[in-house]
Amino acid sequence: MAAESWFVWALIAGMAAIAFFTRAVFILPGSHLRLPPTAERVLRYAPAAALVAIVVPDIALAHGAFSISIENPRLVGGLVAFALAAATRSILATIVGGMLALTLVRLLAG
Amino acid sequence: MQREQISALREGALASAALLVGIVPWGIVAGVAMVSAGLTKAQAVAMSVLVFAGTAQLAVLPLLVAKAPLWVMCATALVVNLRYVIYSAVLAPHFEHLPRPWRVLLSYITVDGVFALFAGRYRPDDANRHKHWYFLGGSLLMWCAWQVSSWIGIFAGALIPKDWSLEFAATLGLIALLMPLIFDRAAVWAALAAGGVALIAAKLPLNLGLLAAIAVGVAVGLAVARLGPRREEGSV
Repeated sequence: MAAESWFVWALIAGMAAIAFFTRAVFILPGSHLRLPPTAERVLRYAPAAALVAIVVPDIALAHGAFSISIENPRLVGGLVAFALAAATRSILATIVGGMLALTLVRLLAG
Repeated sequence: MQREQISALREGALASAALLVGIVPWGIVAGVAMVSAGLTKAQAVAMSVLVFAGTAQLAVLPLLVAKAPLWVMCATALVVNLRYVIYSAVLAPHFEHLPRPWRVLLSYITVDGVFALFAGRYRPDDANRHKHWYFLGGSLLMWCAWQVSSWIGIFAGALIPKDWSLEFAATLGLIALLMPLIFDRAAVWAALAAGGVALIAAKLPLNLGLLAAIAVGVAVGLAVARLGPRREEGSV
């Protein structure tokens, strides 16, 4: 089940390089570049799009098929988490509430 | 160190202390989620020290569980980290006079919350010679809090039974992190479009659906922003 060791280490190395590069790209050369507004918009919208594109299939698909049902624990947990995130803006409340909803659906369906 | 430097360092740390409420639970969740997704303790500790980018760490975990290719996970980490490019551009004029080791350190240690505090407090032309100590003070506090809370999560996570599905906490954490990123109408449409495409294209090989969803989401966001430059302009 766990990914191979070299694979995970390669992932960590790649991510470390990316995390440093994105932060250092202007600081390290001491650049005075002002980002054009369109570039700034792309840089702002892309992370939001990526997070949604990871989350939505993870909660709405089960074994590769659409699973839009109250009996899908991940969908219910995810929707509860969305509601809590919008209402409270609290990371803790979002995660605890989502995990509780997931567990509840599992117990009831189990 | 001179007295002014110490006081700027302390001031930055004190101002950032309010951010601990957010970063500590998030670090614990990241730690638990990393080991639940199959990382060894050593790998998880290495990731939190070397990568030190919580959103990117959480974002790759569902992909790792789904056995996505390496390059797709790196591309995802890059896209999620693009917001740091904006921070880097804003911070560069503040730090340009510093020696290179300082700029390397401040780049590595940049996080969202301290950036926001710093950018709110100092204008780019502010001649304060100790402002990087303020930045360092806040960042060091965040770094220590992130590492310690991650380690707690990593060692606690190894004790928690697998069937609790705690790797799902990574996905839930991403949902919480998403909210502040949807800051105007165009961003909402970008997110909706990305979600729709991600669902429709989920069957494409190599997680190309994910990359297509990001591309379409950004395109829709730009189009909406261009069509209706109305009252939401200039937020954040």
